[in-house]
Amino acid sequence: MTAENHTAPLLEVSELSLVYRGASRSLPIVRNVNFSLDHGEVLGIIGESGAGKSSIGNAVIGLLAPGIAQTAGTIRLEGTALEAVDGEARRALRGRAIASIFQDPSSSLDPLMTVGAQLDETIAALSPELSRSDVRARAIQLLERVGIPDAPRRHHSYPHQLSGGQRQRIVIAMALAGAPSLIVADEPTSALDATVQKQILHVLKGLVQDHGLSILLITHDMGVIAEIADRVVVMKDGAVIEQGATAALLQAPQDPYTQRLLAAVPKLRSVHPDPASPGVGAREPILVVENLSKSFGGRSILDLFGAGKPHFALRDIGFRVPRAGVLGIVGESGSGKSTIGRILAGLESAEADRIELDGQRCDISHRNRAGSLLGRVQMIFQDPSSALNPRLTVAQALTECARATAPAGEDTSQAAVRARVIETIERLGLQTLHLDRFPHQLSGGQKQRVCIARALLARPKIVIADEPTSALDVSVQAEILALLKETVAENRLSMIFISHDLAVVQDICDDVCVMRNGRIEDYGSSDFIFGQSENPYTRHLIDARPKILAA
Amino acid sequence: MMALFKVIAGRLYQAFLLLAVMSLVGFVGIHSVGNPVYNVVNIETATPEDIRRATELLGLDLPLWRQYFVFLQNLATGSFGISYIYHQPAFALVMSKLPATFELAAVAMIVATVTGTGLGLLAGTRPGSRLDRVVVAATVYALSVPSFWLSMMLILLCAVTTGWFPSGGRGSTAEFLGWDWSFLTIDGLRHLVLPALALAIPNIALIARLARAGTVEVQRADFVRFCRAKGISDRRILFRHTLPNISLPIITIVGLQFGGMLAFAVVVESIFAWPGVGKLLIDSIQLLDRPVVVATLTLVALTFVVLNAIVDLLYAVLDPRVRISA
Repeated sequence: MTAENHTAPLLEVSELSLVYRGASRSLPIVRNVNFSLDHGEVLGIIGESGAGKSSIGNAVIGLLAPGIAQTAGTIRLEGTALEAVDGEARRALRGRAIASIFQDPSSSLDPLMTVGAQLDETIAALSPELSRSDVRARAIQLLERVGIPDAPRRHHSYPHQLSGGQRQRIVIAMALAGAPSLIVADEPTSALDATVQKQILHVLKGLVQDHGLSILLITHDMGVIAEIADRVVVMKDGAVIEQGATAALLQAPQDPYTQRLLAAVPKLRSVHPDPASPGVGAREPILVVENLSKSFGGRSILDLFGAGKPHFALRDIGFRVPRAGVLGIVGESGSGKSTIGRILAGLESAEADRIELDGQRCDISHRNRAGSLLGRVQMIFQDPSSALNPRLTVAQALTECARATAPAGEDTSQAAVRARVIETIERLGLQTLHLDRFPHQLSGGQKQRVCIARALLARPKIVIADEPTSALDVSVQAEILALLKETVAENRLSMIFISHDLAVVQDICDDVCVMRNGRIEDYGSSDFIFGQSENPYTRHLIDARPKILAA
Repeated sequence: MMALFKVIAGRLYQAFLLLAVMSLVGFVGIHSVGNPVYNVVNIETATPEDIRRATELLGLDLPLWRQYFVFLQNLATGSFGISYIYHQPAFALVMSKLPATFELAAVAMIVATVTGTGLGLLAGTRPGSRLDRVVVAATVYALSVPSFWLSMMLILLCAVTTGWFPSGGRGSTAEFLGWDWSFLTIDGLRHLVLPALALAIPNIALIARLARAGTVEVQRADFVRFCRAKGISDRRILFRHTLPNISLPIITIVGLQFGGMLAFAVVVESIFAWPGVGKLLIDSIQLLDRPVVVATLTLVALTFVVLNAIVDLLYAVLDPRVRISA
């Protein structure tokens, strides 16, 4: 490195263009992107799916996906153009100068190797001169630095024995093994719960403050940007829309796209509780659930190796869904919220003292039993892409559903069903031209609308929406939520809304149930939960949400 | 401890059930093919009286269910009966052929596993390359060629034309652990090469395909990408990360194929005149030598149960998710 490098920024990307070369045509992925990152700085790249942000990260690490090539521009690290470095030398840079953290810590680690061995191997690969015991000592030191308690013991753990947050800490420890100056973090917290996300961001922040590291943070989450980034680059369709200091950009976004992106982020309202507001149960319930429990505990050969005791996924759950109202169920992953959804949709069996739908007792002890909830409760799933049969057109999928659930005596002629289908999709903002499309020809938002139409066509007593917006981009999320709210109000529908996102729940629900480890931790009207509840876990969840500066 | 006991009990139950079924299959099967007595007496000289006495002597005059009952009684004393043809205890006869088959199958399987996994890894890390295409195409041929043709070609090319290897037999043996083994002498090893190859080649193809498919999948996994991003060398990624992750299906196949070879390598053993269990079984079926057939089938069933248990144990060794989660 020459002397002039002292003035060069740590990372400088200029006029970067990436192209995907397919068999038939080339597609631009990233066009003429410019940005730079200084020592000790966190630069956030934000954009929705397909914006090309991850490809930029891969280009910086030097691991572009097969088929993607850099056609123009340069990436300079401390003044040295990385295009000129290749093969073995480029590999030597990885881990040493540029380290990376990926989105999902569960898949970033080799499941068959202890995390300690993986960390040791990383250290040994980056510093071959160290002796075995030195490597081990350094590994323990790194584990302690990222906040793993009882590091020597955890060194012997396998990835599946650790929680998501601990796994991501291990991944960060590996990224630190080569004492890099730059970490490329691609959605480092997107697979984690809000409370864990906060801790991981705290660890990353500490690295920047204490060790002068720089982080290139790629995310779709404004909250994460607001929490940690010094500067932001907003990307859309492979091009930079806007960039600047985080605080300034969040407060006064210039570009309309950034403004829309910011406006679409669900925010918690501050609630001033009205003592006169009706409490839970004031309205007539359509669904009553009392003492619902579900345990898993199979008889398998694996019992040899594991404990044989049944594991309770749900314990003594009780709630009421108000008629023409929305009950929200919130909780972190593993809290059992989705299990409740599947049980109430009749897809899974469970034990309960009482399940009463619209005044009728229901039997949920076996799946698919007559008198169960199957069919009378409809689901909207998280990922619309996998909830629709890829081989059926929209019309086929919806007609099938309308026919199968039509009550006896209803006109199920081709024309009548088609009329119902068209009426339903038009109310949901789709057009007749969408009817002949296959799911892959629709956008994520359109697919979710089809799923909602499918649920409505069955004329359910209750709709269960299990994280219906989590797989969608922020701007689409807002549309779908508004649509759901409208639909509920227009049709006097009753709904159970399952989500990990408090702001969304507050926006749409009348009553809220907070779940934790298969039990109900807190239960009350939405205003009560968000305004008055003194339950420490509820407060903890609310506080863990990344705060976006006043927008 | 209780759980361990339950699993062992389950395995034993499974073994007993299998043994019962296999012995029944042997019994009913041989019974429906014909009467063994005509292979025991000399048809040309025997008088009806001789045949009657032989039938009584072998217990063949009893109804089949009584014969089976007698067999069970004998089994309780540890005897599978006496071979009608060789006049030796059937079980000891099978056991005397076992070392030959075992060493043949073991050598073939070791060659197949090492070569197949190696080829699969090489091809899987370079999908679409020339090497990959050659490996994939070659495996199709190797799997479709019938084993008798393969064996004869090996004899023709490597024994008859060139004279590199002997065309059949076991060669000289050396004693170890009370049994005679070919692999302990140079001559025996030379005799082992061709039959082992004939058994190994289809398995190389099978394992190479499995390994290739697994490698292609694992190479796309996030943790391999993360290893690259960490700066780990390709070699280490291949051997320390890819190999263990693709090995579970390979172990399953190796276990099954090995078990099959121990009993049913009939074609190869016959062509190479290898005095093994497969050859004994086919000869015994032809001669309606029921005690030997039943003893062989029972032993095969037992082998499969043991192999299955070993495969399960290896799973636990390789995959920590199967073990106790502490």
